[in-house]
Amino acid sequence: MSLHKTHSIPSIRWLKLARDLMAEKGRILLMLTAITVSIIAIGAVLGSYAVLTREIAANYLGTNPASATLELEGDVDARIVKLARQHPQVREAEARDVILARAKVGEDWRSLLLFVIDDFAAMRISTFAPIQGAWPPATGEMLIERTATSMLEATVGGHVLVKTAHGTAREVTIAGLVHDPGLAPASQERTGYGYISRATLSTLGERPLLHELRITVRDPQASIQGVESVASNLARSLTDQGIAVHEIRVPPPRQHPHQRQLVTILFMMLAFSVMALVLSGILVSGSLAAMLVRQVREIGIMKTIGARTRQIFGMYALMVASIGIMAVVLAIPLGWLGTQILTKAIAGLLNFNLTDAAVPTWVFAVQAFAGGVVPLLVAAIPIARASRMSVRQALDHYGVSPDSLRWRTAKLPRPARNALRRPTRLALTVALLAAGGAMFMTALNVSAGWDRNIAKVYETRHYDVEVRFHEAQGSPVAERIRALPGVKSVEAWGYSPAAFAKPGQINVVRTYPDRGHASFSVMGPPADTRLIGFPVLAGRWLQPTDTEGVVLNHAAAAQVPQIRIGDRIDLSLDGKPASRRLVGIVEEIGSSAVAYVTDQAFARIVGTQVGAQGSARLLRIATHANSPQGRIDVIRTIEQRLSDDGVSVETAVPLAELRTAMADHIVILTRALLTMAVVMATVGTLGLASTMGVSVVERTREFAVMKTVGATPRRIIVLLIAEALFIGALSWIIALILAVPLTGLVDTLVGRLGFVAPLPFIMSPVAALGWLALLGGVSLVSTILPANRAARMSVARALVAL
Amino acid sequence: MIELEHVSKVYPGSNGNFKALDGITLRFPAGEFVAIVGKSGSGKSTLINLIAGIDRPSDGVIRVVGTPVGTLDESNLATWRGRHIGVVFQFFQLLPTLTIAENVMLPMDFCATLEPRAARLRAMALLEKVGIADQANKLPSSLSGGQQQRAAIARALANDPPLIVADEPTGNLDSHTAEAVLALLVGLSKAGKTVVMVTHERDLTQYADRIVTLADGKIASQTTAGQHTVSEVSHA
Ligand SMILES: Nc1ncnc2c1ncn2[C@@H]1O[C@H](COP(=O)(O)OP(=O)(O)OP(=O)(O)O)[C@@H](O)[C@H]1O
Ligand SMILES: [Mg+2]
Repeated sequence: MSLHKTHSIPSIRWLKLARDLMAEKGRILLMLTAITVSIIAIGAVLGSYAVLTREIAANYLGTNPASATLELEGDVDARIVKLARQHPQVREAEARDVILARAKVGEDWRSLLLFVIDDFAAMRISTFAPIQGAWPPATGEMLIERTATSMLEATVGGHVLVKTAHGTAREVTIAGLVHDPGLAPASQERTGYGYISRATLSTLGERPLLHELRITVRDPQASIQGVESVASNLARSLTDQGIAVHEIRVPPPRQHPHQRQLVTILFMMLAFSVMALVLSGILVSGSLAAMLVRQVREIGIMKTIGARTRQIFGMYALMVASIGIMAVVLAIPLGWLGTQILTKAIAGLLNFNLTDAAVPTWVFAVQAFAGGVVPLLVAAIPIARASRMSVRQALDHYGVSPDSLRWRTAKLPRPARNALRRPTRLALTVALLAAGGAMFMTALNVSAGWDRNIAKVYETRHYDVEVRFHEAQGSPVAERIRALPGVKSVEAWGYSPAAFAKPGQINVVRTYPDRGHASFSVMGPPADTRLIGFPVLAGRWLQPTDTEGVVLNHAAAAQVPQIRIGDRIDLSLDGKPASRRLVGIVEEIGSSAVAYVTDQAFARIVGTQVGAQGSARLLRIATHANSPQGRIDVIRTIEQRLSDDGVSVETAVPLAELRTAMADHIVILTRALLTMAVVMATVGTLGLASTMGVSVVERTREFAVMKTVGATPRRIIVLLIAEALFIGALSWIIALILAVPLTGLVDTLVGRLGFVAPLPFIMSPVAALGWLALLGGVSLVSTILPANRAARMSVARALVAL
Repeated sequence: MIELEHVSKVYPGSNGNFKALDGITLRFPAGEFVAIVGKSGSGKSTLINLIAGIDRPSDGVIRVVGTPVGTLDESNLATWRGRHIGVVFQFFQLLPTLTIAENVMLPMDFCATLEPRAARLRAMALLEKVGIADQANKLPSSLSGGQQQRAAIARALANDPPLIVADEPTGNLDSHTAEAVLALLVGLSKAGKTVVMVTHERDLTQYADRIVTLADGKIASQTTAGQHTVSEVSHA
């Protein structure tokens, strides 16, 4: 009787573990799916974040974007550039200009931003790279940005008719394509991008002057205030030398125009993914606890034949760890794939070339940690409890027992009583479903809020097209347009780029060099305008007698957050100072910052008169047309009329274009929200499925007993379904309640980014009912499948099943 | 081999504590075949659970194979039990996802007594001994009750323990099968193992060296093979 004591590889208990895993395939699959889905999401979001931060450096910063742009009255010649370069805090300086021109595409005119380059061969700031065709473009030719081909419906070798403010329309040859990562894609901004030389500018009828002095500062980490102070300092020293500086533009340093949106979206997706992981953790812990209930008897047997607590704990910990490892093995490649898809989409949004899509190792490490450690962490407690159980407890254990609750629930309907028999599990399942449901609804609610906001673009604006002129026009222009067929009404408005002025200083604005992002303007509509009707957030709208009053839209108000109704605001309209009293703030969705004064007041500020002499820089026109093609036809008639009258049009933007531009900016967000809704729905419903599976299996013995007293399988299944529906309904109500603050939070977060104001709060009935339907469906399926099996089981087998 | 001194077991209940065993003092020498009998609820299972270290006494000292069982913690008790006691249950209690042979190998795994290859050989030898070697690679669910109980006995023997305890090992078997299983246990006893068995069936007690009769948690009588009654009531 001398058995050799050896400490070799344990084998049988791992075999048992593997077999149990196989025996619980369904439940293991549920846990595995939930963890995998959330780790995929985490990997994709973190991977995208890592890749894109790197790509921003490679693409946007690679263009050496201007830290600041000084707008000069006159030409930025070589002497001025040299002066700027000599400034101790300036690294580089370069002359540039950006001209808002128009290009004829088919029968219509579209906006065309023309970047005038001093010397294509010696660009140092805001550079771009040739990708096809000529470099530099010859006189009379232009290069276009690669994303502009669709807006201009032309490419290398083609011709476009280009018209500037002072010139006549001229054919320009497209000599080549460039990639300019400093610009958002042309189609998003609904404008073409062209690059020309001074000489070409001259042939287009403009004086060959470059008004922009673009600089970069020496300090690579300079803050926006730091850049402002360098730029102001340079502007002062130029002014001292008799060089007039009109305005300083300082965009957020080292930030792509769309970067903040991007980071917020990724952050939000990360928050959702982490929540999904937490929910998966709850699911794992719940399912595992249920599995362990069935293993308790076996634990008792194993302990009887010599298993130590540590050995038992090790077995089940390894079981969970192996689920986690499987999840990680699946999630790492799929997360990588998600990263590739997401970065590609976002790179498109930012007009980036993905120079290197490699995902850094730390992302995989985080995924491995999330998959390897989180499930273990949440499973540790149920595993420890089960493995610490004494042999006697384990052998005596019968699935369902806590009787303490029963008397209190005696009056409840049967399904509720059944569900309440395991209060902890019920709480976990309901919490899981409620959290999942709340986030599912939130994702869809926010998406609906966004759509609602975009709908407001139409609801608050009653015109079909906005025409801006290069020069102020008199009232006869408006009269002639009004007389055209198809035109319903016309309003002539004042319009001017503007800045919040600091007395005695050169105006500093936060606009990007593309002039669109973060711009500010003053508009002068008739006080009784019928073509807009923005909701008033504070104070009131303009009145005809408001010679001193100004109304800000919310985007403008956000730039002067400390301001109150009644306060004075110092504005600068193209250099002309104006001090006005704030009478109201309105919500204007889909617009950059605007300050409104009456047309009369506007005329007074810019020194003209309303009427014949003219102060109208833009017309807003409503048509009788009720189809897109009808509107286009009327717009063509208007363009023809203006052209015949020799009126130089800067832009003519149909309202539909504004909407397209806005929708294009956020498809990525909507898709991200929907993806997150799908992730939450997956994890949530898996949780319900898992709980119901457990309930059914646990009650196998009970079914048998019920069958022996004459209950039919159908009746048992009906009872179980009722229980699932009860859990679903309970969680649905909680989810609905939770979704209210959560939607509000995300609405605020997303709205601030996209519209400078919270999104309208919408509880989408589709989301709420959709979730309810999903719960109902999953309840049915996840109950009927296992219940059928259980109900068909013979009484004898069922009685020993537990 | 087994010594119990003034052992009591009290179960806490909803209407006061219940004394399932009351001041039991017993002493079995090694190699005996002991049958514990008594009416349902008399405390037989409680007693055998205490001997096997599955449960702990409320009072008194239990010494099994020289070890004071009460002084070990749960884990050390488990290892000790795995090495020194083979437990046979009424409901066989084989692990459903392991084959018969694997079930027999499991105690050797937990107690690290044999490495897998040797454990397999030993398992096969034990199954041979209990007469179901041909069932070695089947799952428990496909065996008859008698076959399962034989497998359970083989498992109990895995680590070659000096003591086998069995709680109604034949309670779930027909009389013919029960007899065969009983013969197996008798054989073990003949081969030098101490066997303590709880049983209901009086006629099975003819094989026993000693019969302990319990009534209401006390020893009602104790007879040895020579049919002379050792004691009528428990010691005060
Ligand atoms: N865990 C427990 N909690 C409370 N009372 C218990 C517990 N286990 C057993 N008892 C009680 O202790 C007494 C002895 O039980 P035990 O199981 O030892 O009886 P038994 O002689 O084995 O009966 P049977 O022949 O029916 O198996 C019984 O009255 C029983 O109700
Ligand atoms: Mg008993």
